Amino acid sequence: MTDRSPTDAATPAPFTMVTGDPFAMVCEGDVCSIPGTAGDTP
Amino acid sequence: MGIRTHGARFQFVVSEPIKIDIWSDIACPWCYIGKRNLEGGIAALGDDAPEVEIEYHSFELAPDTPVDFEGSEVDFLAKHKGLPAERVQQMLQHVTGVAANAGLDYDFGALQHTKTLKAHELLHFAKSHGLQLELSERLFRAYFTEGRHVGRIDELVELAAEVGLDADAARGALESGRYADAVQADLAQAVAYGVNGVPFFVFEGKYGVSGAQPAEVFSQVLTQVAGERDEAAA
Repeated sequence: MTDRSPTDAATPAPFTMVTGDPFAMVCEGDVCSIPGTAGDTP
Repeated sequence: MGIRTHGARFQFVVSEPIKIDIWSDIACPWCYIGKRNLEGGIAALGDDAPEVEIEYHSFELAPDTPVDFEGSEVDFLAKHKGLPAERVQQMLQHVTGVAANAGLDYDFGALQHTKTLKAHELLHFAKSHGLQLELSERLFRAYFTEGRHVGRIDELVELAAEVGLDADAARGALESGRYADAVQADLAQAVAYGVNGVPFFVFEGKYGVSGAQPAEVFSQVLTQVAGERDEAAA
């Protein structure tokens, strides 16, 4: 675990987020991207 | 390992598996890669790997996708994203390359884009029969590698039978929509957690991990959770 940050304060998630690799890909809808970037892949 | 010994003190500790909840969609290329990376992270711990219990939860990425889409994956993405087909092909090649590094043989040329709601229902049916992990792997492979249609009930029933589920019972579950509420409950839980994208992993209800993280990240989280358990038991 390289870094930890609390989840978004607006969400009631009962867990602590592990940052890990900030470039790990996530899919939202039919768009997959590095969170917080404009770049995407299917 | 179900029973661990602490030799010096002759103390026997019966440990429960570490729970890993995963929100995922069969149509998510990074979810399959993340699955492989998680498996790699567990394997990398060797004999020190804690026992884990993995449960998949539904996350339907594109609910508006039709069951039967006429066209290729390039067509679908170009239309939805408004990108040139050449750009989409480049992106698909990139994902295919990353998947190959994870030991997965993606074939976007054969892939049949479809709605995954029924696949999610089937995963809940499989969970009720203790075969969710087997079905999850089978559905991912069917979709990304074999070009199978995972939106149609007939095809889903065939895949269910391949992992040992009763075909007639699987068909009955899908046709009745028996697990539709379970799917919606997973989606609602994701919203409650603030999960906007997948794959999303929750370890022991304590640590959240977003994205197709490298295997070593999963190893680190598991080591952390197992260490905290040992400290609590000491």
